[in-house]
Amino acid sequence: MTTNPIKSDLLQGTLDLLILKTLAAGPMHGYGVSLRIQEISSDALQVRQGSLYPALHRLERRGWIMSEWGDSENNRKAKFYRLTRAGKRQLGIEESNWERLKAAIGQVLSAV
Amino acid sequence: MVSNKTNSNDPLFTPDFSLKQKIRLWLGALFHVKQFDRQLDSELRFHVEKQTEAGIRAGMSGPDARRAALREFGNVDLTKEECRDERGTRFLEQFWQDARFGLRMLRKNPGFAAVVVLTLALGIGANTAIFSVVNSVLLRPLPYPQPYQLVELELKLQRGDLIDSMTVPQFQFFRDHSSVFQSVAGFRGGFDISLKQGQTIDWVTSAQVTDNFFRVLGASPAMGREFVRDETRPGGPATTILTDEIWRKTFGADPEIIGRQINLDDKSYTVVGVMPRGFKLVDGPADVFIPLHLGNSMSDQGTNTDVLARLKNNESIHEAQADMAVVYDQFHRQDVTQGNDAGVQLVGYQDSLVSDVKPSLLLLFGAVGFLLLVACANVASLLLARASARQAEISIRLALGARRGRLVRQFITESLLMALLGGAAGLPAATWLLKTLTASIPFILPASVSVNLDGTVLAFTFLVAIATSVVFGLASFRQTTKLDLNSSLKESSKGSAGIARNHTGRILVIVEVALSVTMLIGAGLLMESLYRLRHQDIGFDPQNVITMTTPYTPPKNTPLAAVWNSQQMIMNRIKALPGVVSVAVVNVPPLVGGGNMPAQRQGHNENSIGGMEIREISQEFFKTLRIPVLQGRGFVESDTESSVPVAVINQNVARKWWNGASPIGDHLIVGMFNGKRYTDNPRPLEVVGVVADVKGKTIRGDAPPTVYLPASQLMTDGNPPRGWVIRTENGVNISSELRTIVTEVIPAQRVMLLLSMQQVIGISVASTNFDSLLMGLFAALALLLTAVGIYGVLSFTVAQRTHEIGIRVALGARRIDVLRLVVGQGMVLAWMGIGIGILAALGLTRFLETMLFNVQPIDAPTYAAVAVALTGVALLASYLPARRAMRVDPITALRNE
Repeated sequence: MTTNPIKSDLLQGTLDLLILKTLAAGPMHGYGVSLRIQEISSDALQVRQGSLYPALHRLERRGWIMSEWGDSENNRKAKFYRLTRAGKRQLGIEESNWERLKAAIGQVLSAV
Repeated sequence: MVSNKTNSNDPLFTPDFSLKQKIRLWLGALFHVKQFDRQLDSELRFHVEKQTEAGIRAGMSGPDARRAALREFGNVDLTKEECRDERGTRFLEQFWQDARFGLRMLRKNPGFAAVVVLTLALGIGANTAIFSVVNSVLLRPLPYPQPYQLVELELKLQRGDLIDSMTVPQFQFFRDHSSVFQSVAGFRGGFDISLKQGQTIDWVTSAQVTDNFFRVLGASPAMGREFVRDETRPGGPATTILTDEIWRKTFGADPEIIGRQINLDDKSYTVVGVMPRGFKLVDGPADVFIPLHLGNSMSDQGTNTDVLARLKNNESIHEAQADMAVVYDQFHRQDVTQGNDAGVQLVGYQDSLVSDVKPSLLLLFGAVGFLLLVACANVASLLLARASARQAEISIRLALGARRGRLVRQFITESLLMALLGGAAGLPAATWLLKTLTASIPFILPASVSVNLDGTVLAFTFLVAIATSVVFGLASFRQTTKLDLNSSLKESSKGSAGIARNHTGRILVIVEVALSVTMLIGAGLLMESLYRLRHQDIGFDPQNVITMTTPYTPPKNTPLAAVWNSQQMIMNRIKALPGVVSVAVVNVPPLVGGGNMPAQRQGHNENSIGGMEIREISQEFFKTLRIPVLQGRGFVESDTESSVPVAVINQNVARKWWNGASPIGDHLIVGMFNGKRYTDNPRPLEVVGVVADVKGKTIRGDAPPTVYLPASQLMTDGNPPRGWVIRTENGVNISSELRTIVTEVIPAQRVMLLLSMQQVIGISVASTNFDSLLMGLFAALALLLTAVGIYGVLSFTVAQRTHEIGIRVALGARRIDVLRLVVGQGMVLAWMGIGIGILAALGLTRFLETMLFNVQPIDAPTYAAVAVALTGVALLASYLPARRAMRVDPITALRNE
């Protein structure tokens, strides 16, 4: 990796989006989500655990993800999260919001 | 593709999160906090373990990997807090936590809890009680449409007083000449008349009203019609309107009631209307309405008619008042009589009904409100006394990063708990208070009022409880954190602490003592007034005297002689009862009522009195009541219909008209005023005697000018007097015999009032009685609060100065010195308070003057007694803290640095 990882506090909204997207691929525990985000972004995004877990709980309260305890790879008990139908819908909304934001910022940046 | 299969192994399965699951989650977080915490802990721990493993795989040693993982993770506890926050149940959880903590604290200190709850219960309870009266009497609007348009017309006297009724000519003039109102009506209320159905006789209350009375109120009969103008002339058709209750109760809701003839007052009346259910005459009870005859009779010339009017829409009472002033002048110019009135005043109807009650009620409300504030301050002071234990707790919590807001919330929750407990305990106190007060309220509350604890009042109590808890919660929190700062600064020198701090507490105690002093002085003065009122010279001897009234209208065409005969028979039979010393009749017994007419001295028009009290009495009247005859004689056998008409006057008249000269042999005329006639045949009467003054209608005022006429000379004029005074021997009770005699001689006659003269006096002093009861209760409450206040402040002082006391004892101070130290502090506060209180009392007692009777506001013995009482209370309240101080063990005190 040539660039330094961005270890910033992601905005709450974008973190939610990333989590939802990650869980869209399938149920995962918290550690798995954080690892996955890191992997897929090629290490550019390192989510702070201090933000991750509160975010997971918040998303669960809103009904976009749900949790259940299950066995992890080495047969240890872990809390798995999965996307709900409402969460899937929310993911779609967030994604389109993100696209619009991206476009808007792009416009501002390209204007002189 | 999303399927509905509940196959949780499918990685792409996206179940829906139902509402039920959401609620379950929320409730779960609420009630299973421990379980939730455990799960959260496992979840985070799992993460750290995985991270550690990753670290080990990357080549770090076990402990290094773990340390790195933890560092990576960040502040675990903070994360946990935030996760909990996200649950959304945070607020409620904390509230629950605080409440449980508060309860535990209270249980650990039952004595403290009891005192706090009791103080609050008294404060809140008193407020609830008074508020329910205020609510019922002042706040609830009258049960008529647009009640604020209703005004009562009152006469303004030259002195500025108002009387709430006027003469018939005045009413008629105002009614016919003012376009100021939508409608004007007159009424007289409250007469008991007989209602005869076959053989049964019921007594009902009647009200005499003019033709558009109900229209003014905004009500109309549910059946039939209102009265018409023709029915209000003397000799007009005898019609009546019934209330719904009477119609149902007595006439069985007869659907054919309209047009039926019923027997009222031994005359035949035609029912022309029935009022709807729920209609009430607020001024007083009324079962039936009959037309008010507007004529020229003696009572029509007197101010006996109440006048009610409804303002036009969009008209203000001030505009109407201005218009009425003009009308009044017009009347004045063409009027013959000229009583004492100088103008007409419009008063809002609701205001006029509650006017005598309103100022006292509002004062009362303010007073209990103030008392509650004092109670709150007291509780805050008590909380402060235990502050030292909590200082450590608070400093630690603040150091651990607790936000001030969170701590404040905890304090408020605890306070809320105490306040709610206090409020709940206050409700029975309020009920008791209410019952005691309403039992002795001397005035009659407007008829529609039922004073009880209803929903509004309970809501009020709840709000007050919350408000008080916020007040003292914040106060004690503020003080505690202030302490905290202080103690951390003065870590090494816990020296002359107590005096500098806790200014508020000490000022509070001084204020409380001053308050108690003023109230006790007030109560003392009032009670002395009451005593003097009861034991003053009322002009006659009330011991062993029974008074009775027996209203009765004989059937038409009964010869007068027969009526007087029956009366004589009753008198003879009463006289014959064992234990009876003497019997007399009088039209109005003393202190029961009044009856006046214009009268003047013959040949001296300037000696005229518009409201001369007239008493028609039998021979033995003066003897029965032991009223001394000062000049001349009373009435004797020879004063008959055929002899010279005579009269006896009281000292008041003799002084006014004859001014020292002997009135005996001179003449006066009843029914004439300033040369003008007010009756059909005014008679000159020869004055044959002067008697001592006797109280009239009220026990407070001076004896009114009174003329006594012998009943024996009025036998052809009208019915005999219906009041009785009976002197018995000591301890004789003849109430039931009296009733029997009355109904045996005349079956239709009944006994309306039957009381001992002492009871009558009791009723007359009822208002002073009530005032002193009230003031006494307040004083007691204030005293209690003062005791608690002193206790609280001294306890706090002792707690703060434990260290210092330890040093003193170690240096040789004896127990008694410590005692003197503590009690001395208490006494200093008490004496400052007493001083201020006495000064305040000196200043304020001018307000009490109107309520006092023959008592000077500056009464040395009362003041002295109160000072002594409060010193005693202060000593008592200082006792417990002083005892605690004496028990301080110097070794432990010095060790707990």
